Amino acid sequence: MSLIVVIEDNPDNSRMVAKLLRAASHKVIVAEDGETGLTTVFEHHPDLVLIDLGLPDIDGQTVIALIKQQPDLANMPIIAFTAFQPDVAQNMATAYGCHGVITKPIDTRAFVGQIEGFIAKLVS
Amino acid sequence: MSNLPPSSARTAFINAGNQLIPTSAYNYTELAEIYNQARVDYIVPMPMNNKRMQEYVQNYDISLDGSVVAINGDNLPCGVGMLGLRDKRGWITRLGVIPDRRKHHVGQAMMESLIGSAQDQGATLIQLEVILGNDPARLLFEKLGFVPTRELLVIRRPPSAPTPNLAYDSLKPITLSEADIPAILASRTDTPSWIEETRSLLNTTNLRGLRLVSDAGESGWIVFQRSPFQLTHFVLNYSDTWVAKALLYHVHKEHPMQDTKIENVDVGDQLWDIYQQMGYLEIFRRTEMFLHLK
Repeated sequence: MSLIVVIEDNPDNSRMVAKLLRAASHKVIVAEDGETGLTTVFEHHPDLVLIDLGLPDIDGQTVIALIKQQPDLANMPIIAFTAFQPDVAQNMATAYGCHGVITKPIDTRAFVGQIEGFIAKLVS
Repeated sequence: MSNLPPSSARTAFINAGNQLIPTSAYNYTELAEIYNQARVDYIVPMPMNNKRMQEYVQNYDISLDGSVVAINGDNLPCGVGMLGLRDKRGWITRLGVIPDRRKHHVGQAMMESLIGSAQDQGATLIQLEVILGNDPARLLFEKLGFVPTRELLVIRRPPSAPTPNLAYDSLKPITLSEADIPAILASRTDTPSWIEETRSLLNTTNLRGLRLVSDAGESGWIVFQRSPFQLTHFVLNYSDTWVAKALLYHVHKEHPMQDTKIENVDVGDQLWDIYQQMGYLEIFRRTEMFLHLK
């Protein structure tokens, strides 16, 4: 079981990913904006952060940068979660130091496997 | 010059029992919520909270009386469209219709209302930007007489100090005082989009500026906004590309922890090459469109 923080402002999306991850026995904390997401990540030091790049208060990229600037969180696995074109999403995720990217809409059958794949890869 | 069609969609929309309500009837939280719902499935959603919405309205001279929320027969909001006004120009922005309330020409009805409001205020030019790939919106704008003028880029640079460069380091930038910035912006020679115009910048806070003069007499300046987490609204004026790169170098050297986002760089401008050389990435493109009114 992993602790995953989902930073996503769209309640339909966050409900869906939280439901899928909880069904796979992961603990999930949802934050609906960048500021709450930062506070949650700083407080809980999760195993993985899944972050939407379009947030209503602070851009997702900026939130990622702020997490990365904390010395004790610099290597925390962060997965960008975005509706950007896959090539743009990948370039941006790489540039901002994310460990991966999942594009929207998610494939509900593959989603948990994708997340667990990222965690396994990062732990090994 | 445009031969605008009569406001057919607006009239039909209202005659069908719907309403177009000025956004001044709503608070910023309500407007942000309607806007976010309308943009939820967009290529680039760009959601806003109430604070961001309020700043947007203030920074870009949005007329809340000229902007509209569309309400359907069930009294539910189905979309929003905003109108900025400056002298004899209007700017249409934040237009969107909530996905399950689309069709019924809601977008066109709002557009006709916004164009009408701009005309009522004496505008002779209306401008807007549409994200590249948003074909339905672009088709609507073309139908209303808008014509594309240029392609604009939204770019970002993740936080990092630039690679040390002795040549750039040999130039010592002069920090512009806040009081100097309006005068220096008055000397700019670029053709900015609405949100990068001097009036937009002067509506914001925390503007910073640097000036450089090389031994060879090349010179330039940069003005930008430093918000708590981000650098943005870059205006560069330079006699040589080398000076432009040196200015960006010094900005990022001074602010290595700041994320940077720059909107509406003209794709044909040599600045885009310079930005790329300084580590910027393209995020998406917009097409700027103009409607000249009689």
